[in-house]
Amino acid sequence: MSTSTAKRPTVSVAVGTSSSDVSGIGLRRRLLLRGVTVALIALVAGQAVPFIADRFLMSLLLDGAILALLALGIGFLARHLGLISLGHTAFFGGAAYSLAIAATHWDWGPTPAAVFGFGTGTVLAAGVGVLVVRASGMAFLMLTLALGQALYQVCIQTAVRPYTGAFDGLQVEYDMARTFFGLEASEITSAGIFWRVVWVALVVSAFGLWLIGRSRFGTVLEGIRENEERMRFSGYATFGPRLIAFIVSGAVASLGGVLFALNAGYVSPETLSFVKAGDSLIAAIVGGIGTLLGPIIGAMLYIYAQTNFNASGNLHLYTGIALVLVLALLPGGITGGLTSMYRRFRARLKGR
Amino acid sequence: MNVAQLLNGLAAGSLFMILSSGLAMIYGLRGVANFAHGALYMAGGYLAYSVASHLSFWPALLIAPFGLAVIGAVLELLFFRRLQHRSHIETGLVTFGIAMILERVIVLIWGERTLSVAPPPGLDRTISLLGVDYPIYRLFVIGIALTLTAALVGWLRFTRIGLHIRAASHDVETSAILGINVDRVSLVVVCLGAALAGLAGTLAAPYVSLQPGMGAVILINVLIIVVVGGVGSIGGAMGAGMALGVLQTLGAVWAPIVAVLVPYVALVVVLVWRPTGLTGRRI
Repeated sequence: MSTSTAKRPTVSVAVGTSSSDVSGIGLRRRLLLRGVTVALIALVAGQAVPFIADRFLMSLLLDGAILALLALGIGFLARHLGLISLGHTAFFGGAAYSLAIAATHWDWGPTPAAVFGFGTGTVLAAGVGVLVVRASGMAFLMLTLALGQALYQVCIQTAVRPYTGAFDGLQVEYDMARTFFGLEASEITSAGIFWRVVWVALVVSAFGLWLIGRSRFGTVLEGIRENEERMRFSGYATFGPRLIAFIVSGAVASLGGVLFALNAGYVSPETLSFVKAGDSLIAAIVGGIGTLLGPIIGAMLYIYAQTNFNASGNLHLYTGIALVLVLALLPGGITGGLTSMYRRFRARLKGR
Repeated sequence: MNVAQLLNGLAAGSLFMILSSGLAMIYGLRGVANFAHGALYMAGGYLAYSVASHLSFWPALLIAPFGLAVIGAVLELLFFRRLQHRSHIETGLVTFGIAMILERVIVLIWGERTLSVAPPPGLDRTISLLGVDYPIYRLFVIGIALTLTAALVGWLRFTRIGLHIRAASHDVETSAILGINVDRVSLVVVCLGAALAGLAGTLAAPYVSLQPGMGAVILINVLIIVVVGGVGSIGGAMGAGMALGVLQTLGAVWAPIVAVLVPYVALVVVLVWRPTGLTGRRI
């Protein structure tokens, strides 16, 4: 063990197990194995969905999975650091715009443009993260909101119209001969086929976030969430872990943005707007930010509600009501409520 | 820079000043950034439209703030009071949901069309000021805002309830122990804050057009003003509001892209280098 790590007390997640049971990142082997198994099953099961679902349901699921990536990023920060972000649209929309600019203006193929978009979104998250992760609570919310809206305002200015198209948005146009990891343009815009890519991205991201959350690093994050000052007194750096967590969550949102731009073939300033920021946050909260699956379920429900209520224009009336009800009556969101119901049920069974 | 632009800036700043003083009072007392403030402002504007089209503009100046005070009372009794032991973030997000509901309800009542209100007779002309013809109505807005600000500051400084509000903004628990009825103080503050938002909406109605997005746009600016001015500091919020109004209006003439970024840059600079805001305390 090097001297630098020897100075620090290490936090072991797996209390009471012998060290041979613990994997390198601080997870119990059995838990890790179970996680990998669940992820693999989800991965395979998801590939069967296009055979079952019809075209309409497929496009809903695809939109839901893309929004889920954004909500997953927001939920990760909320769960592990207690930070509520209203600015993740900057990474989602920033990545989408970068892809569109690279493809349309610089004639890049879809694959390099997607990599570029993902990279730009992640770098943007690093830049924003340096500015905001020292803040907490309301200040963090306001800072992320302000930075996200600043990007929106820049994007709709007439001065940048040649790049972003201002209010008109930007069509993603690339050479039809080039493919995205073997997928042709028509396959990228087909929900049934592109679903496989999005599903892999979603499951891998969720598994990655789960792994980070359960690792030693995740425990450090939780310590920072509970009492940042005490963590510093215990000899932990708190800025670095916070920044890394912020970048990771921004990267997941960027991934969502890239897939969105590829599939939709069009990026509008809406992707950066206050409304989108609010909607994605509401999806995460209503689904439940206390669990990994919460934001995903919330995003799916949101898309379902959008399809049903958008025609009347009353979507935000219902999402607003849902948000107020969940926060007032069911603070853990839908998944949080289900989890506590399950626990109570099991406790009653054991009590007998 | 000419006189007209400067006056336009002052008029915009006046609206910001009225809105942000109400938001700052609620923030100071309940610790909650009221995301519904933009929707309250919007409600004030639409209410003023209805009153102005049925009666005339003058009664709207009283009726709209009164209506909004009632909405404020509902907000306080139904949400702020019941959720006061929850984290401030959660209560803030509840107001976010309320804003969405309220904005949609307003659209359902008044429709999606852009509405406009004519300035009241007598104020719909222009006046020659230093060689520039300037609409009297905007001078009227500036005058009302300055008078109101002076009255509000005097009220907070020299009355008993003002003393209680300042004490409770400083430290809710200690004030409660010392015998201040915090719930009553809070009801007054939230009602007054909502009424001020309604007044700002009424004053804005003949000056900007009424449309469904008006609340969200101004909300972000006003939230930024309150944080930059220093949370819980009403004076700081008023000063920052006026400054932002003038800077944005003058900036829009010289360098539009800089002007729209002014509030965001100001917020980031203030929160990163001076987390307490220009005055006031840490959020």
